[in-house]
Amino acid sequence: MSELATVARAAELNAQKEAHVQELRRESGRPVIGYLCCFAPPEMIRVAGAIPYRITGRPGEPTSEADAYMEPYGCSYVRNIFAQALKGRLDFLDGLVISHSCDMVQRLYGIWTYYRPLPYSRLFNVPHQVTPQAERFFMRELLFFKESLEQFTGQEITKERLAEEIALSNRIRARIRELYRLRLEHPPLIRGSEMLELLLAGGWLPPEEFLKLLEDALEEIGKKRAAQGPQRPRVLVWGSLLDDVAFYRMIEEAGADVVADDNCIGFRVFEKDIPLSEDLVEALKDHYFINFQCPRTDRGPGRARFDYIIQRAQEYNVDGVIGYIISFCDPHKFDYPDLRDYLRESGFPMLLIDDNYSFAPAGAIQTRLQAFVELLKSGRALSS
Amino acid sequence: MTASEMRRAKRHLETTRKMKDMLPRFFMRALERRFSNEPLAWCMVGVPPELLKAFDLLWEWPENFGTICASRLVAPDFIKAAEGDGYSPELCTYVTNTMGYCKLWKERGEPPEESPIPGGMGNPSMLLGSGFICEPRYKWFQAIATRYLDVPVYSSDPLAPPWDVDPHDPRIAGHYKALLREDLQGQVEFLERHTGKKLDLDLLREILALSHKALAYWRDTLYLRKAIPCPMGATDYFSAIIPQMYMVGEQEAVDFYREIYHEVKDRVERKIGIVEEEKYRLIWFGLPPWFNLGFFNYLESLGAVVAIESTYNVGDWFEVDLDDPLEAIVERTWRRAVKMHEYGTEVMPELCNPAVFGGFVGSRMLEEVVREYSLNGAIMHLTRSCRAVSFGEVHTRNRLAELGVPSLIFESDMADPRLWSDAQIKTRVHAFIETMAGRSPAGS
Ligand code: SF4
Ligand code: SF4
Repeated sequence: MSELATVARAAELNAQKEAHVQELRRESGRPVIGYLCCFAPPEMIRVAGAIPYRITGRPGEPTSEADAYMEPYGCSYVRNIFAQALKGRLDFLDGLVISHSCDMVQRLYGIWTYYRPLPYSRLFNVPHQVTPQAERFFMRELLFFKESLEQFTGQEITKERLAEEIALSNRIRARIRELYRLRLEHPPLIRGSEMLELLLAGGWLPPEEFLKLLEDALEEIGKKRAAQGPQRPRVLVWGSLLDDVAFYRMIEEAGADVVADDNCIGFRVFEKDIPLSEDLVEALKDHYFINFQCPRTDRGPGRARFDYIIQRAQEYNVDGVIGYIISFCDPHKFDYPDLRDYLRESGFPMLLIDDNYSFAPAGAIQTRLQAFVELLKSGRALSS
Repeated sequence: MTASEMRRAKRHLETTRKMKDMLPRFFMRALERRFSNEPLAWCMVGVPPELLKAFDLLWEWPENFGTICASRLVAPDFIKAAEGDGYSPELCTYVTNTMGYCKLWKERGEPPEESPIPGGMGNPSMLLGSGFICEPRYKWFQAIATRYLDVPVYSSDPLAPPWDVDPHDPRIAGHYKALLREDLQGQVEFLERHTGKKLDLDLLREILALSHKALAYWRDTLYLRKAIPCPMGATDYFSAIIPQMYMVGEQEAVDFYREIYHEVKDRVERKIGIVEEEKYRLIWFGLPPWFNLGFFNYLESLGAVVAIESTYNVGDWFEVDLDDPLEAIVERTWRRAVKMHEYGTEVMPELCNPAVFGGFVGSRMLEEVVREYSLNGAIMHLTRSCRAVSFGEVHTRNRLAELGVPSLIFESDMADPRLWSDAQIKTRVHAFIETMAGRSPAGS
């Protein structure tokens, strides 16, 4: 448990998020639309009058319920999510939005909506490359998405309301960036697991409340903490989806601090504002498609597509990088050897944890993390 | 690993046996041209071979190279080399086969001598990828061009509509076809840039006409397999698709498919089946185990014949107006996507293939297929490393069960024989045959 009261509050809220969202749904009379991944803008869901809810898995829980509908060789996160749906834990969802972020989630969409249809469902199709034709496709897809939401909720997504909503979400982004900057300190003023706990609350809390939570966190840290305590090795975590703090905690227990990240729920989504330009659809396209760095999008060969990770590693003064890849996750597995080599060239050692979304066997993972942290310690000692 | 007794496959048709002469002749011609340093493209299924032909470009298919390495049992060497570089054993083994090949090539400074075809795959001057059907297929060339071969890449990215939107809605059709058209245009511009040639539309039109003629014979051949007894099985099927990849648009391919059509028709008329006493008629789902195509002969020895396959199955989509040949490619791609959509794409929506290969039997189509091909059962190859083609089989099994058709799902791989065990597979096949024996044939 974190000694930061704000983080403890976030953890408490997150632990009961299904119940809270159902309450919110009852009180407001607004439908809840579950989503995975960030290509289809949650801002639009809100403006249409629905409650966006980022669906998360429960790492390590058995997924055997899924066996009757999908093969064992599927991303274990996807199987885990579908098992939740089959267990009835997501019955409160009125709608489902899944982006074609990778093959596996795209297929999850088909299987889910076939066997467990929902009042509203939408696959948001996303091109695999950034080309002029892909950009145009993405913009049309945004408009289809807008239209389908409006049809479902009966509420028009006006330009004014969308601009307001984007402005609000940009305020959130700014606070998150401030929190990230606290990790530039050595030791960091907020731990990786704490940061993730806060971010997870953003997946379902109403934005006004989320903003408040972030502001409280900033204030609390400003009052309580100064750079003190042991200076431990600093790591950046890269890889597949991490929607549970357990892995960051394991790293912290092994004696390192997670100070930066490049994965689905992390800096990637918040590092830039959505420009409040004249054409908001274009702005959403730029933000959620062009600027959103994820290995599922082909940005051509060469090292340029890894440079931002190296820059971030330098900016946050990390000692090494820990990769976390969920089994059968092709987009990340393809990039790993190149990323590892480019990082090594730039002086950053990398450890890869290949996991089936269970962080188990914990002992074995812990041992590898500890060995890596020892290595980083000796590296830091040498360079300082 | 003990050698599998299912390695050697027996082809039944005269025409496919003749491929033994035809293909090497073709490869030799290509090899000669390669030595004169003409531009060479490595391509993926999804790239229209007709377009390559219109540019008179030399091309190779790493995927097909994977199947050849698999059938000659050298794939594991290449796959292990790629694994040594950090590529996960979970990745598509066609991919890791090529990666390992490239790695050894780079290390040794010459094409690896383990290559099962003389000269191996040549030194490409460009990579033409396609994201149709799976994401490994664009990450793959991205990685090759990053790590091993510094050459330009164009990956086409045809997207298909999800199962719950209506592709007949003109707005939806317009949305997807615009992407297809612009993507194809991008491919043409890339080819023009890197070959220094301008696309000759008249030539492309002629090539398409020849290609579609060959494909029409092939489609009609496949329909002949509805006959009882089944005149053609899977070993011939999986052999006879190869000319589609290399020789479409040539008269030789038209001749080949015409000949196969007549041979199969003749067998139907004379009631010559693949097995002496046909007891079970099956549908095959998934990629074949290329290293053990004799598996199909093994099934035949038990009186079971594969009458239809879900993969590479060509459809009716190519009868399009060739006036504007590029638009014709868009149209055939879209028509097939719509057809597949009607047949049910809830688990495999990405079937938007601009090339000549078809593939996939959607779940809504099952009833029709079961009836028309008088099927008694389904065998599904769950390929651990190719989730793109095998993910969805459990759902298909569920749908088949509703029709009273039993399925056998067995796990192995298309290129890596290390996951295969004769003994285990035989046990499972025997148990499955008993299940089928307990039921009356679906078509009777
Ligand atoms: S972890 Fe990988 S395979 Fe799984 S949903 Fe995410 S990107 Fe797709
Ligand atoms: S479809 Fe399957 S075999 Fe083909 S490239 Fe994709 S993963 Fe590999």
